[in-house]
Amino acid sequence: MAHNFRSDVAIDWCPGCGDFGIVTGLTQALTELNYGPNDVVAVSGIGCSGKTPHYLNIAGIHTLHGRSIPYATGVKLANPKLKVIVTSGDGDMLSIGAGHFVAEGRRNTGLTIILYDNEVYGLTKGQAAPTMALGEKTKGLTKPNVFGKVNPITMALSSGYSFVARGFSFDTKHLKDLVKKAITHEGSSFIDVLQPCPTYNNINTMEWYRGKVYKLDDEKTWDPVVLPETSAEAANEKFTNAYKRGLEWDDKIPIGVFYDNRAIPSFVKRIAEYIPDYLKNPPAEQIVAGADGYTNVDPFKTFADRVI
Amino acid sequence: MSNIDLNLSIGGPQGGGIDTSSNLISRAFASSGYNVLGVREFHSNIKGRHSYVHLRIREERPRSLKYPLDFLVALDPDTIFEHLEDVATGTVVLYDTNDEKAELAQARMIMRDTAKRINSTLQENKLELNVKGALALMKNRGAKIMGIPFSKVLEGTELDGPATRYYNVLGASLTLSIIGLDQKFTRDSLKHIFGNKEKVIALNVKVVDAAYKYCKENGLAGNTLPDMDAAPRMLLTGNDGAALGKIMGGLRFQTYYPITPASDESSILEEHEDIKWLSNENEKLSSGGVTVVQTEDELSAITMAEGAAITGARSATATSGPGFSLMAEAISFAGIDEIPVVITFYQRGGPSTGLPTRNGQADLMFALNTGHGEFPKMVISSGDVEECIYDSMKALNYAQRYQLPVIHLIDKNLANTSDFVPEIDTKKIKVEQSLRTENKTDFKRYTLDTKNGISPMGLFGKDIFWMTGDEHDELGHVTEDPIIRDRMMEKRFTKLKVADEEIPDEDKVQVYGNKNAKVTFITWGSQKGVILDSIDVLKAKGIDANLLYLKMFEPFPSKFVDKFLKKAGTIIDVESNMTGQAAKVIRMNTGFEVTNFILKYNGRHITEDELVSATADIVSKKKKIVVLENGA
Repeated sequence: MAHNFRSDVAIDWCPGCGDFGIVTGLTQALTELNYGPNDVVAVSGIGCSGKTPHYLNIAGIHTLHGRSIPYATGVKLANPKLKVIVTSGDGDMLSIGAGHFVAEGRRNTGLTIILYDNEVYGLTKGQAAPTMALGEKTKGLTKPNVFGKVNPITMALSSGYSFVARGFSFDTKHLKDLVKKAITHEGSSFIDVLQPCPTYNNINTMEWYRGKVYKLDDEKTWDPVVLPETSAEAANEKFTNAYKRGLEWDDKIPIGVFYDNRAIPSFVKRIAEYIPDYLKNPPAEQIVAGADGYTNVDPFKTFADRVI
Repeated sequence: MSNIDLNLSIGGPQGGGIDTSSNLISRAFASSGYNVLGVREFHSNIKGRHSYVHLRIREERPRSLKYPLDFLVALDPDTIFEHLEDVATGTVVLYDTNDEKAELAQARMIMRDTAKRINSTLQENKLELNVKGALALMKNRGAKIMGIPFSKVLEGTELDGPATRYYNVLGASLTLSIIGLDQKFTRDSLKHIFGNKEKVIALNVKVVDAAYKYCKENGLAGNTLPDMDAAPRMLLTGNDGAALGKIMGGLRFQTYYPITPASDESSILEEHEDIKWLSNENEKLSSGGVTVVQTEDELSAITMAEGAAITGARSATATSGPGFSLMAEAISFAGIDEIPVVITFYQRGGPSTGLPTRNGQADLMFALNTGHGEFPKMVISSGDVEECIYDSMKALNYAQRYQLPVIHLIDKNLANTSDFVPEIDTKKIKVEQSLRTENKTDFKRYTLDTKNGISPMGLFGKDIFWMTGDEHDELGHVTEDPIIRDRMMEKRFTKLKVADEEIPDEDKVQVYGNKNAKVTFITWGSQKGVILDSIDVLKAKGIDANLLYLKMFEPFPSKFVDKFLKKAGTIIDVESNMTGQAAKVIRMNTGFEVTNFILKYNGRHITEDELVSATADIVSKKKKIVVLENGA
């Protein structure tokens, strides 16, 4: 029988929250990919999104505010066989954890990063998140937002993410398909999920999004895939197209895969190039003591260059 | 001159190859069977500012350094100015005669206040404000001034590039020839230093030969020192020791963000990442290596290390004060989530950026109190290179055994101390693994069904369980239940109590010297060596002293320390900080108040001469606090 990826923990998100759609899309994707319970782990930060791992019936860690990416990276690098899914909010990932978000693009470790994008800090009563536009006034704010917004799509592209997509949490089937693609992508993948906060964001509501989203995949000519054999010119054009679509927002909002570059080696692969047998004996699986319980490494051979 | 005890400093501009000079001298003496201890001092600068290495050479292993110097080797004018106060009767000052014309006013790389002070000293002595004046002062103080025209020594030697490029090797070779070290050892050492760079070795051999030839022809060569028998040893710094200990202790994942003086350890791990280990099944050497990751900041360094730890990899990070400050929140997380992780904390001069390349021990209280909330952590400290090796293994073991963050304190002085380590005992410490689960169904990661507070660890990839920075139930899910909260707090703290009971006193505190001595030093970290050497010197002066040496601060050996101090005579706390933090920890844990202090916070290592004299001031002049000021 297939593993049930939902845990028995009661979900305490607000009724109508966009987060439910993410859990649905995610668990369906895992089921359809036929993963076993110990193949996948979930890592989150703080906030409503941070609760996600508890709702999943796989090993999970609900980490510190902003630090989901480095925790996840540690897990993945120590045991590269694991599929590591990061579920974090826009404040978590693009404000307090923004440095890690950018660094992960450079690393391309092989994480699947799902951004819960609702433009507000819900759990602390609706402050503006970094994805909220300048001058917007949602009901939790005392005055219009005085900060400009960051664009998660173009930021991910500029940071070097090799798979960049956007989903809408009220289209779970589409989201599920995106998650499947993201998880099976070798490098790090990023999905910006539009997930309305029914309690604190009275502007970017489900209805607001429904009137604007359109699917990139519906366009017959849309092909975001870069392969090792793709010419530099063509690859550059795909990146530019993705970036241009990433800038669309006001009238219509694209969802789907913006960019899927399979030519960039993952960080896991880059390490394996330098450390023999890294993939065969990753840090999590090495034997660190001999049968007698003492070290199984010869210090004089290991540090032969220091012997006098 | 068979029974030698030489203190030697060789200085030059940062980037001028002082490390090579130091290495050449150390390795040449090593080949000849002697022991050398060295400390490297440098500015936060890439090129140009004054840097030097202070070496002590003896038959028996030196544990400390001493002023005045027996040899000052100046590869540039700044070295002569900067070390004016380090010479006395008998010091040989070796310099390049070409530097004689250098004016103090032109020495712009000397710190402004240092230059002013040198200026005043020269003026008071009615001397010229230049190298000539400085040398005259040294001569007045009894030093033997030995000017050698460096360019002339290398005249006729065919080299690649300007001759000045070889002055580091030249200065070291002249010194070795004058001391009387056999030329073959000096030549051989080049092979160790330059590895397989045949061309570089050949060029530098010419420099060595030219130096020895010059000294011989000019009557400067010393009588050849006898060879000592010595088994193979390792030339290791504190950074090396910690890296080696970590590898032996099973470390397979290390993270770091570049910071002085910690990142050398990670670079050393990276250089040796392709380790070979014996696998149990077939007794064959396997590989897989140590994965070292340079992270985007220290927030990432500590959290990435924790992420790796929950897969079962033995994991650590290394940092210094500013980086450790950023790690506090994640250390608290490792506390509540019971993650085995080691933080090797290389202290330097603070606060803030402070003295980034100088010594300091001002972070003991910070390490003890780091992280919000109450949670168990362990804090241990190392005082010499061998301790760096074994304590790194122990730190990894404690982290595994008690599933908590272990902070391993080392200081900059020790990090940059190079020492000859005669043997490494691979059967001294077993490599321990955390208690793991057998029960695969309904696994409770934080089961309360435990007497010692230790619940079997689950591993990502093997078990289903949850972790959260929130208070949690036995499964690892968030809870705010008041009863479970109490039980979880108690469970976590039971581990610390158990650690205190299980770990023997000798791993926490050690006594050196006569138990009933009239004077008791208290210290921790790198002062250990200088105190032990000073105890020998003080004995000859009629002062009988011992040392209470602290190695573990959490859990703290309260009973032992209290009992020992209550019977002690004059107690003197020696630390490289301003507020006597170890004495505070003692008082906090035992109520015992220490009132005599020898403190140093100028960022330089404590030397034997100043410690001996400060002790005499406390013992006979009844001074309470002596602040040490040696060091360039």
